[in-house]
Amino acid sequence: MDSSSRFPLKSGGLGPHYNNQMSRLPFSALIGAALACGAHAQPKPPADKAPAAQESRPATPGASQSVDNALAMCVGCHGIRGYKTAFPSVYHVPRIAGQSPTYIVNALKAYQSGERSHPSMRGIAGGLSEETMKELAEYYGGPAK
Amino acid sequence: MTRLWLLAALLAFTFSAQAAGDAERGRQKAAQVCAACHGAQGNKPSDPSQPILAGQYYDYLVRALTDYKIGRRNNPIMKGFAGQLSQQDIEDLAAWFSSQESPLHDQR
Repeated sequence: MDSSSRFPLKSGGLGPHYNNQMSRLPFSALIGAALACGAHAQPKPPADKAPAAQESRPATPGASQSVDNALAMCVGCHGIRGYKTAFPSVYHVPRIAGQSPTYIVNALKAYQSGERSHPSMRGIAGGLSEETMKELAEYYGGPAK
Repeated sequence: MTRLWLLAALLAFTFSAQAAGDAERGRQKAAQVCAACHGAQGNKPSDPSQPILAGQYYDYLVRALTDYKIGRRNNPIMKGFAGQLSQQDIEDLAAWFSSQESPLHDQR
């Protein structure tokens, strides 16, 4: 593993998540501008930000963003090889990539319900929708992608 | 003097907690207790709701089994199994499973 992925903060390596949010800004600005102009002209979306994925989920317009946000919470601990918890006691945070998606969803629900008690995980899982849990489980679960 | 002994005991505990388990004893125990659901090496769960244990961190496995045993992690099935394990069993099992080949991998 090279140092840039080992120390994502040093190299801006958290990029996928932060960059996604950054690149979304001009897009929403475009939409805002279009609305303000009476939407006479369809704004051309940036090529790298295909709108189809977002438009296919009108019921949950913030869904993909909340997955990005949730993922940013995961990588801070689970994305760093060998990372250890600091509170309330010290041990390695578990490896989760490669577990079955079913197990990952169950684990998140167990934190949400209080069956599992780790304070950080209770806080994080407590705010997740089931939909987001499933998307996270798909991201981390199964064979290496 | 008492403080020195306490410090020594704490240090001993800290270092022994790194990897006190015996993987061979863990292999035997796993075959009796864990294999039916998690697979003998912990890498072939019989159902997707059961986690892969192979390749998991030693200290996390010790923590999980201990939590089940004392009820801090509240799962009735695992409480039944972990409840019958001694501290030595737990460390042996963790040594066994953490050293097995695993589909778990590193991913951001």
